[in-house]
Amino acid sequence: MATALQLTGITKSFDGFKALSEADFSAGWGEVHALLGENGAGKSSLMNIAAGLYAPEAGQMSVDDNPVQLGGPRDAARHHIGMVHQHFKLVKPFTVAENIMLGHPLASGEGSHRRRLAQLEAQIRSKARELGFDIDPRQRTEQLSIAEQQRVEILKVLLAGARILILDEPTAVLTDSEAERLLSTVHALARSGAAVILVTHKMADVMTYADRVTVMRGGRTIKTVDPKQVAVAELVQLTVGDSVAAPVRGRSPAGEPRLRVRGLRTPGTGGTGGRRALDGVDLTLHAGEIYGLAGVGGNGQSELAAALMGLTEQLEGELVLEGFGDLAKASNAERRALQFAAIPADRYGIALAGALSVAENFGIGQVHDGRYGPAWRLDSRRMQEDARAAVAQFDVQGVRSLDQKAALLSGGNAQKLVLAREFGRVPRIVLAHSPSRGLDVRASAEVHARLLAARDAGAAVLLISEDLDEVLALADRVGVMTRGRIVAEFEQPADRQAIGQAMVHE
Amino acid sequence: MTPEKEVMEISLPPSPAAPAPRAPLASRRYALEVRQQMAWPRQALILAVSLAIGFGISAAILVAAGVPAGELLNEFVLQTLFDRQSLQAVLFQAAPMILVGLGAAMAFRARFWNLGLEGQMIWGAIGATAVSFFDVGPHALRLPLMLCMAITFGLVWALAPVLLKLRLGVNEIISSLMLNYIAGNFLLHLVYGPWKDPKDAFPYSPQFRGFERLPEWFGSTGPTAIALALAVTLLAWWFVGISRAGLYLRFVDANPRMAHAVGVPVRRMVLSAVLLSGALSGIAGFVVVAGQEGRLTQAFYTGYGVSGILIAFLARNNPLAATVVALLVAALFVAGRNLQVFYQIPFSMVQLIQAIVVICVASSDFFIRHRIRPVVGKAG
Repeated sequence: MATALQLTGITKSFDGFKALSEADFSAGWGEVHALLGENGAGKSSLMNIAAGLYAPEAGQMSVDDNPVQLGGPRDAARHHIGMVHQHFKLVKPFTVAENIMLGHPLASGEGSHRRRLAQLEAQIRSKARELGFDIDPRQRTEQLSIAEQQRVEILKVLLAGARILILDEPTAVLTDSEAERLLSTVHALARSGAAVILVTHKMADVMTYADRVTVMRGGRTIKTVDPKQVAVAELVQLTVGDSVAAPVRGRSPAGEPRLRVRGLRTPGTGGTGGRRALDGVDLTLHAGEIYGLAGVGGNGQSELAAALMGLTEQLEGELVLEGFGDLAKASNAERRALQFAAIPADRYGIALAGALSVAENFGIGQVHDGRYGPAWRLDSRRMQEDARAAVAQFDVQGVRSLDQKAALLSGGNAQKLVLAREFGRVPRIVLAHSPSRGLDVRASAEVHARLLAARDAGAAVLLISEDLDEVLALADRVGVMTRGRIVAEFEQPADRQAIGQAMVHE
Repeated sequence: MTPEKEVMEISLPPSPAAPAPRAPLASRRYALEVRQQMAWPRQALILAVSLAIGFGISAAILVAAGVPAGELLNEFVLQTLFDRQSLQAVLFQAAPMILVGLGAAMAFRARFWNLGLEGQMIWGAIGATAVSFFDVGPHALRLPLMLCMAITFGLVWALAPVLLKLRLGVNEIISSLMLNYIAGNFLLHLVYGPWKDPKDAFPYSPQFRGFERLPEWFGSTGPTAIALALAVTLLAWWFVGISRAGLYLRFVDANPRMAHAVGVPVRRMVLSAVLLSGALSGIAGFVVVAGQEGRLTQAFYTGYGVSGILIAFLARNNPLAATVVALLVAALFVAGRNLQVFYQIPFSMVQLIQAIVVICVASSDFFIRHRIRPVVGKAG
């Protein structure tokens, strides 16, 4: 079997964070090759390199056994590589044909635009018929369902001449029957000679449709196996890593319940596959414990965090804070007064205002209750003094001046600034969503130490993370979130395999 | 993700030959980078250079239009600022411009594109005139009463677009702009209909009496109006620079989602900033009718909406800077009017010059925010 695509020793880092280190990958003509791994394992980064979107720092790439160097997605298309991204790249108000035209050779061909468009429409119809897609080339893409948009994306790359087809998490947005249909289509494509690379975290997809599977973990390619030859348990183990017993940490037993979540649901169908993003979450947080919520990203974690932070307007279900009542009725300023601390995942989206100064970003946390002067006069000097003390106490590096924009801080220091603000007073409830994402080892360890200190001081901590190692290292109890629900709970020491199974089996 | 890493590459026409050790300027590759912070003296320098370029182009156009080159400095600077009458005209013109500029700046600080400044100004003027027309209150309190009515009417006219936006998500650019036409046509209805001065046939309201007009100071109402505008400037400066609300507004402007998450009352801040914007425009309407015209006329507001937006934009929504810019725009306006009288330069030429200066200043922002530098040692 000739090698369609080969990547050797690929290394790539972002902001000093090593996303890929010496990853090797190869896919042959005629096969469906799955790339399996947890979120953040480096699957998408590796495939973005293959598609010409990122340039690797080290490593070689060859197509059909010829070494190539890609200067961009256009180069990739020239080498017959096409990628369907997890977040579709379609111009919504344009028609199907117009969207496909953008990456197509006909875009700059002979004749009038109208004639070329008609020519392309004919091509689309015949290709769609061949693949069994029911697509009208004249329809505007915003009117299409998610599954149909995905079919347009596939048509787009195939008509642009792709013979190596990369699909990034294609079934994440589909219902089960849609996913089945899609996977059998790409399977047929592979049988007709193409190379299909399936980036996924779903074990079932791999077991049924892949000819080979390469497992990635922590930016490395761990192993390539034939899924017919291995047990599911073995694949899970390869994906989540070696079972290391969680370090035993001295802790007092959990205190009284502090936050009760019952049947929490978001309205509408904003979640994956037309489900509700939150579909009946039940959860109790106790004082003096860290509850770790594990799960594959996009299963409602962000929505749960938003609900707790008061960013979601309409919620069904109960959200009861002991000694206060319905938390959903509290304004965000009231939440602060109740010592609710939040470390959101989106650092510059929800946690910090990058264009404003370090001092302002710190002071906004406590300005509401008059610590920095009455409403008619802001006590900037006191705010500066507090900020200076907090920056020193939380070891925020790279602050040349307190008037410096927060956007100038590196990821780890920005996170420390958030911690300084949120943990300035002893919190009663802490929500930490992927708190160490993108941080180096040292910064992560400091973030973890702050969370443990908050717990020991009696706070109820909810740690939402896609990093299972982080959850297992910190949590006193572990929950697994899938499809907007908490599907399993484990007491520590928890069985890593069992958690992994709960995460991937649906 | 920090914007520090945002790098887009512009490739200028690539040289087909192998890169020579020192390629000509146009064939090198350049990277456009986002700059994080720039020391203010450099910012001021860039701004000064862009202003100079703007004035240079304008001067060239004026010379081409027949103004003797030697007369330009005389006309523009000396005549405008050192002639007593012209100076008064500048102050006269500047007061309402300061007020609408502040009005625009307040709304923009809350990320609300209030294009209804003129409508709010019209209603401010109508409110002030109503007090005069219906002879409300004792004579001594007449002016303060007119001011209060102007504030109230301007504020109420701004209430509609902000409520539409906050409640129903209606785009304020459309709603506030359209409300201008309603206000303008209602104004026409008043001055052609029920409020028309019975003494003659012109479309305006009866003349205000002496105690209904801004008192003269240094022989003109200009300085009085300026004093009022400066007092309002100080209030605006206190609001955005000293009060807690100012901090809240900065967060609403920088990142509304984040502001909401950390407990800033975002909706309340947007509402107050926009109402303040309407109130300030209302005062501008009051200053025009009670200071300049002495009655309600049919087109007193024309152009103030655009000027206000322009002033707020050039001043980056800073109240103190807005005052300076408004004075500058007013001076440009008066100088242009002088040119019009003495050299028969059409008024559109004056607008052209304003536009050129504004475009130059606006483009300077690009160089403050970005840096362009050649790409070194990059293969391919």
